Amino acid sequence: MLQYDQLNAGDTLVTHQRGPVSKPEIAEYSRASGDPNPMHVDEEFAKASGYPGVFAQGMLSMGYLGQYVTRLAGIGNVKLLQSRFAKITWPDETITCRATVTGKRIAGSDKLVDLELTTENQAGEVKIVGKATVRAS
Amino acid sequence: MANKALIGREFPSVTAAIDAESVKAFARALGESDPLYLDDAAAASGPFGAIVAPPTYPIAFMAQAMAGAASSFDELGLNFMTLVHGEQEFEYERPVKAGETLTLTARIQDVYEKEGRSGILDILVLETAATDPSGARVFASRQTLVSRR
Repeated sequence: MLQYDQLNAGDTLVTHQRGPVSKPEIAEYSRASGDPNPMHVDEEFAKASGYPGVFAQGMLSMGYLGQYVTRLAGIGNVKLLQSRFAKITWPDETITCRATVTGKRIAGSDKLVDLELTTENQAGEVKIVGKATVRAS
Repeated sequence: MANKALIGREFPSVTAAIDAESVKAFARALGESDPLYLDDAAAASGPFGAIVAPPTYPIAFMAQAMAGAASSFDELGLNFMTLVHGEQEFEYERPVKAGETLTLTARIQDVYEKEGRSGILDILVLETAATDPSGARVFASRQTLVSRR
């Protein structure tokens, strides 16, 4: 769990790395999430649609962020998770999840910490810009 | 077309029975290893009394709540083939638990158009509320869907 008293706006938290993203991983996520879109599993379909090949679901990358903030805050302590899918995540990219504290507040009996989140590839290209609110202790 | 008259339209509620095996498969697909996601016995004696789902798991069962929304895409003149998931937000009261049945109610929260780099984009924001059998809210989802003309 995160320690409310030790966090302040502007603090950056320990990062979380995933990848390299693989095609089998993308296909497994399609099955597990019930995503029927062939764009993530069918190379020919993706190419015919004007892409260089299959690519990761935005929700897979958001899943990395969910995993990241849950590991930081503990299961049951994530109050809000938001993602804006800015750029496509491709197979073989290595993804780093980052969090910066943007504020903290008391809401009833909860000590809440607001985070700004990003995922980026090995070249520093930002893929998701998001935010989270987590319960701290 | 940004048909503002559709804002507030609510779709018929549907139910979703949360299946432990489906939750585990989703957790494994995300590379999770926490026994609260994966181990029935450990989860049963844990703080939630059952397997719980990772935060983004609702995406695996929310599509059915939006099935009723498909006709609205037509009414909105949205190009379903070029529909892109632009943003996703979840607000949680507690984790989703295996074995429970949730009621999902989706409504159109907003409709607007925006000038994109390649022309006008139609934006639809769908809000889905999930409640448990006692009527307590479990989570709310806001999906922003973007369509190129």
